[in-house]
Amino acid sequence: MVVTVAPEQFSMVLFDADAIRAWAEALLSRLEMGDRRLHIEVDETTPIARVQSELGDPIVVRADSGAFEDTRRPRQLSEVAVNTALGRTLLRARDRLSGRFESAPADADLDLMQVAAWDTYAVGRLARLGYPVHQPRWIYNFRNRHGFTDEADDAFAQIWAADDLSWEDLCALSDRAAAAVSAV
Amino acid sequence: MRRFFPVEELARDHRFHKVTMRDRMADPRSAMINRPDRPRPASNRLAPSRPDASDAARALMHGIFVGEIQALEGAGRTCWDFTDDEAPLALKLDMARQCWDEARHVEISAKLADWMGSEIGQYAENTVLFEAACSTDPVLRLAGVNRALEGLAIDVFTTMKEFGETAGDPFLEFCEDWMLADEVTHVKMGSDWLRRVTEGDPERRAKALEFQGVVDKLFSYGGTRSDSQESPIGLARRFRELAGFTGEEIDDIAEVSLAALNERKSRAAELQAEALDAADEVASATSSR
Amino acid sequence: MPDPFKGRAPFAPWDRRELPGLFDVEETARRVGNYKWAEIKLFEALGGWVATVPELDVKMRLGTHCYKHAWHAELWHKRLPELREMNPDRMTVPANDAMVRFVEALTEPEAPELTIEKLVGVYRVFIPRFISAYTFHLNSTSQITDAPTIRSLRFILQDEYEDWRDGEMMIQSLLDSPAEVERASARQAELESLMVEAGGVAGPGSIGVEPGSAEAVA
Repeated sequence: MVVTVAPEQFSMVLFDADAIRAWAEALLSRLEMGDRRLHIEVDETTPIARVQSELGDPIVVRADSGAFEDTRRPRQLSEVAVNTALGRTLLRARDRLSGRFESAPADADLDLMQVAAWDTYAVGRLARLGYPVHQPRWIYNFRNRHGFTDEADDAFAQIWAADDLSWEDLCALSDRAAAAVSAV
Repeated sequence: MRRFFPVEELARDHRFHKVTMRDRMADPRSAMINRPDRPRPASNRLAPSRPDASDAARALMHGIFVGEIQALEGAGRTCWDFTDDEAPLALKLDMARQCWDEARHVEISAKLADWMGSEIGQYAENTVLFEAACSTDPVLRLAGVNRALEGLAIDVFTTMKEFGETAGDPFLEFCEDWMLADEVTHVKMGSDWLRRVTEGDPERRAKALEFQGVVDKLFSYGGTRSDSQESPIGLARRFRELAGFTGEEIDDIAEVSLAALNERKSRAAELQAEALDAADEVASATSSR
Repeated sequence: MPDPFKGRAPFAPWDRRELPGLFDVEETARRVGNYKWAEIKLFEALGGWVATVPELDVKMRLGTHCYKHAWHAELWHKRLPELREMNPDRMTVPANDAMVRFVEALTEPEAPELTIEKLVGVYRVFIPRFISAYTFHLNSTSQITDAPTIRSLRFILQDEYEDWRDGEMMIQSLLDSPAEVERASARQAELESLMVEAGGVAGPGSIGVEPGSAEAVA
């Protein structure tokens, strides 16, 4: 595997490109994507936490610095934040490459419910791989998009615990949760 | 126990990490940069429709949580720091009441933060709120805390209340509304005492109102709070009126806040232009080789 | 049908309240003034300590208790003019110099590591003394002539009992080892000695009538 990080030297934030590279390599290995090349571009001019990716060779991940930042210590790097942000993005890439997500829209065309459902699916798998995640954060995010109902909580639990979903499976769970709000 | 407690010594357990306003302002990054490939959205108002709504709301709720801790500490210090000659008993009794209210707000915010999936100390704590409560003049404390800080609280809670209502969150709107009611009381307390304590002393009153203006601008956080949709937190005009702010005062705050936003946007544009110039120079130097 | 114009006794058979009480108006005003002074000192201390304790639950509870004791001071402030004291500040005084020394010692700790010392001073010394003084007053004053003081005492005592329990539980949760027990005991002994010197929140006689002082009024 080859992981490259740009910039190599940061001036606005106290990030270490080598650390990002090491964590990304470990993540690729844990996700059984060791045969993929990865290029990570960090925009250190903005504190926003957005992450975007492009499938290709290499996979390109564009992360705003806020995505990798330690929220307790502004401008400092957080291993947990890097693993969570990269992990979600790479799992989404892996899902697309698996053949089970062929009908999934492009990232830019996903609606907020779909993003929340897919994030839940990704972070649940990260948790089972041993990466520290705070589940209540993701439950809240899921509820915000799908409603504060028992049906939404059920759907969350199923998606979180799942491993081999297809896009259609994911949408079905998400749609069923959202329908409970419409029915009220 | 000393009178006038320094902000650096605010007692916290290991989960908390404090940063000063100076630290925050020293952050060279900006979310205001407008690029052709990444235009700034028309509205940055905190609403469920934002892609980062959940995380933004969680961060704000944690900010409310630590803010309430500092408000509690500030009100408590006002009970202790002043002699009977410097602050009448009735003022201290009102500050003690505020202690109770703020303690309750800490409790509510802690429960809400847990509901929203945050952990205590997950975000850096900006100590600017307590710093506004550090003045050795009780009148400046009233101006800084009960008018400026509580006024900001009215804006923030209104935004969170609307967020909760839109999202259908069964607890957020309910809790924010209760806290809003208390903040209206605190602002009224501040307005009443400011008037009474500075009765017959126009110079002292003017100084207090000037301090309030400075704190209002500081609490605009470079445009984080304003009438503009570009600010995540809106100016809660109706609730401020209920709290006793005059239309003129609200307009002044709106003007100061908008000025802060525009200053930040200008600075971001300057930085962007400098960066583009530098990139052009590099490109030019590379192509000429 | 009962005759509405038939005379009834002014006190129903179940109303056993007695007229005599131990305190006349002046003595009541003196005690109330002392109570007010002490409650003020307590609420000021609790408020000041909030910023100095790192334990989050303790921090919040001190804020709540600060208000309760401020409210007690306010009740006493309002009672004083009703006891012919038109200048409440005149009566808002410590029982004696020893009470002043007690409060100075009580409020001395500031460092974040001294939460045990702060809490023991309040919840194992000061508040128990309030409870005893208020209980004595409640049981001793005229149930008829001094009803307004009794009413305030009942409300205040309810708070004092709850605060005492809250504080005791916080202290118990902080006593992790014999070393902390020793700290708590030493602190209690230090402050209790000063309180003994003062004679209580209202000075000597806080919880009993001394020879030569106020007698029961027939």
